[in-house]
Amino acid sequence: MTSYVLIFLAGIAGSMHCVGMCGGFVCAMKPDPRGTAATARRHLIYNSGRVTTYVFLGAVVGFAGASLVAHDGGDTTASAAQRLLALVSGALMVFIGLQFLGAFKTRVLSGAGGRWLANALRDLLNSPSNLAPLAFGVLNGFLPCPLVYAFAAQAAASGGPDSGAAIMLAFGLGTFPAMLAMGGAGVWLRSARSRAPQLAFPTHDPKTGARAGAHIASLPRADWRQNGVRLAGVFIVLLGIITLARGLLPFSAHLH
Amino acid sequence: MAALATFFNSLPTVNACSHCLLPVSLNGQEREVNGERLPFCCYGCCLAYQVSHGERDEPEAAWLLIRIGAGAFLAMFIMLFSLLLYSGTFGENDGVIVRAVHFILWALATPLVVILGAPFLRGAAQAARAGRFSADTLVVIGSFAAYGYSALQVVQGGDAVYFDTATMVLVLFTLGRYLEAQARVRTARSLAPMLAAERASATVMVDGSETGRPVSEILPGAIVRVRAGERLPVDGVVIEGSSHCDEAVLTGQPERLRKQPGSSVYAGSINGDGALLVRASVAGNATRWVQISRAVRVALSRKSLLGELIDRVAAWFVPAVLLLALATLWYWNARGPFEDALMAGLAVLVVACPCALGLAAPLACALGLGEAAQKGILIRGGGVLEKLARVRAFAFDKTGTLTSGSLRVVEVMTVKAGEAELFGYAAGLAAGSKHPLSLSIEGAARERDYSALSLAGITAKPGQGMVAANAAMGSAALMQTHNWRIPDVLTARAESSNATLVYVGWNGAVRGLLCLADEAPSDAGAAVSALHELGFATTMLSGDAEAPAARIACAVGIKSHHAMLTPEGKVAALREFARQHGAVAMVGDGVNDGPVLAAAMVGIAVGNASDFAREAADITLPAASLRELPWLIALARRVRDTMYKNLAWAFGYNAIALSLAVSGLLQPVIAAGLMAGSSVVVVINSLRAGSENLRDDVVSASAAGARVKLQS
Repeated sequence: MTSYVLIFLAGIAGSMHCVGMCGGFVCAMKPDPRGTAATARRHLIYNSGRVTTYVFLGAVVGFAGASLVAHDGGDTTASAAQRLLALVSGALMVFIGLQFLGAFKTRVLSGAGGRWLANALRDLLNSPSNLAPLAFGVLNGFLPCPLVYAFAAQAAASGGPDSGAAIMLAFGLGTFPAMLAMGGAGVWLRSARSRAPQLAFPTHDPKTGARAGAHIASLPRADWRQNGVRLAGVFIVLLGIITLARGLLPFSAHLH
Repeated sequence: MAALATFFNSLPTVNACSHCLLPVSLNGQEREVNGERLPFCCYGCCLAYQVSHGERDEPEAAWLLIRIGAGAFLAMFIMLFSLLLYSGTFGENDGVIVRAVHFILWALATPLVVILGAPFLRGAAQAARAGRFSADTLVVIGSFAAYGYSALQVVQGGDAVYFDTATMVLVLFTLGRYLEAQARVRTARSLAPMLAAERASATVMVDGSETGRPVSEILPGAIVRVRAGERLPVDGVVIEGSSHCDEAVLTGQPERLRKQPGSSVYAGSINGDGALLVRASVAGNATRWVQISRAVRVALSRKSLLGELIDRVAAWFVPAVLLLALATLWYWNARGPFEDALMAGLAVLVVACPCALGLAAPLACALGLGEAAQKGILIRGGGVLEKLARVRAFAFDKTGTLTSGSLRVVEVMTVKAGEAELFGYAAGLAAGSKHPLSLSIEGAARERDYSALSLAGITAKPGQGMVAANAAMGSAALMQTHNWRIPDVLTARAESSNATLVYVGWNGAVRGLLCLADEAPSDAGAAVSALHELGFATTMLSGDAEAPAARIACAVGIKSHHAMLTPEGKVAALREFARQHGAVAMVGDGVNDGPVLAAAMVGIAVGNASDFAREAADITLPAASLRELPWLIALARRVRDTMYKNLAWAFGYNAIALSLAVSGLLQPVIAAGLMAGSSVVVVINSLRAGSENLRDDVVSASAAGARVKLQS
């Protein structure tokens, strides 16, 4: 259970990354003409769709991981293959966590078909349909993202679809509050849009600052978010080490 | 915590991520987006940036996507519970929970089957009414059989529940449909302005106020306002304003042409930086642009040769697959549990769906036609491209094809007279006739700034020349009838020349000689040598005299030529040439070589042929664009290769997957995944081949608003 709490906290910290990345579209989603309650419902639906995808991914990789190493139900008598999976996943998590901390220069894993996803999402942005936020959230969940990769790695090593789904659920719920708040901020911003949005912080590159103006004004300050992301990095490294330990130590039941 | 913050802030940063504005640490990456290199902290941010900065809005694609998203939402829960069931999470002895999960699965699957199954059901019903089977029939039978059987099991309290199969098949097939729709939308977008030419609207000035009118209602004389960046809706003359126009879709010339009051402008060209007032010179629905639009629409609606073949194959393919599925079911049912047999039969149905087959030809063809149309080249249907890819040799007409078709004065000789005097008499005589030679001589005098003398009593002697009171010009024979001796120096020059000769004499003596020839445009030689390099045989078939024909053939580098041919003779010569070299494409000007264009494997007409409907040509090139021939060949071959690649892929893939399914080695869910993957490969392959140089067109609002449905 300890690790689920950790994952939830990591989700909260990591949602500073989500806010930066996905906050842009959350604000771009059309507010419901029927008022604030309806708009809030749209954002709730969107986030449910997103978390559903995470949970599904968790279950699938958990199932795949378990079938790969022929899981036999016992934690203490973990097979060699299961240990290997834990080692690989743990290493991947430590690697991604260190990336969040900016430890080394590397090319981020890129997902195939990402451009297609981006285009698909853009088609959905302006749709007035009630189901659009759901579809939007579902597809958004498939956007390649290092945070999701990190927890998917842990889910793969968790030993079954149930634990995999639970890990991703804990992470997804952790991202809920900030993203919902983002939706609220977006609504507020829209009503205040008539005033030119002021950049809340100086950017290093005036060109990109000027180009990225759409959702900036509503974002929390970059240095807070940066520290949130780094905190998430620390959590992920920690979880990675725990996962590694499960592969290395003979008795790791107390860590589960 | 403070220590942690201090540590964090000591980490190096480079600059901010373009999307989420986090300072990019050392792990940042630069990516090219919309032609700019921008820093991103991760790949997801790069995509997210593209989502919020792109320009796309496809309502119909969005509707399909919403269906997919909602379906995927339900399907993911179904998969989740199914995975938990398979992995034994609920325990073997907990029958109540397992039954409850079965009911939950049923409850989730039912709306999904309704949402995603409806379009397929409609398609299958439509085909059934026409007495046919279609790919939809397979999907419907497969998914509904799995759903129905599972529901029956739930009611009976059985264990063999396959809702995950039923729903995943539907989700994956819908995904395939979406990709197909996307590809078609993209093709339509590149052709949209062209296809919408007749439905476009124009801003017409009536009594000083502007009103929007459809192009088809515009009459000659109407005043039309054209804004900067708009596509011109009419042919006409500029009466106010100045700008530069891009006429590439009409002429293939990429240069922008300057337009000011008095210049002619043409519908379909794109207005550049300035607003124009244009007086229409022809009716809005009679412009060349509208004719092109009609021709492209007809071309797109024509099935290619391969397309027809595929249709014929699909007609018996689907029933065959149904029989095979039933046979598989029967075979495995006799040898094992019914559930396994059912799964094998379903896998056969799903994996054999000929979706990729139906996609292969039309996509590649439509993109090829669109690409050519954007260069002002009209191709009458996908079949033409396939034939062009088979061509091994080219035959050219001379006049108007390899030459500009107008004679030019290439040499002037005078004896005891000035050039001004010579041209004065020549132009004066020429004024009495409209013969091409006369027009050329008048033009040459104008070019050289010599004014024509006004001569009395000019008469034309057909086939000989022009005669006036004290002057004459024409053939040597005409000079003989006047008993005017031709100076030796002129005779000597004439014997060595292969141009058309016109003697000019006045006041009782021959004083000069004009040599006229029609020139090959500079790009003809380049086009011919490019064709030689590609390994094509070339010949020239001309109705003209031997000497000029030989001269032009030599100038452009064609080794064999036939002169003095009647139209029937041209056809005979073409047949002979084809016997030696294989399939021949004939390039003519479409004016008087209809029979030979029709006789060739591919007839290519060059020039601003004003009436498309009357032509026997398969392909129409804009004037002076022979240099596009190698490009056209490359396009035809690329389209053909794409089609063959797609077909080979679809058939091979289907054959392998089918044999796996028949032997019971394939889960239906995996089969559906394989099928969707096959469609993805075909679509990507076609788009990649077709988008190599599609221009992003400036689309006027009205044209962009017109949605085009391409044939499927």
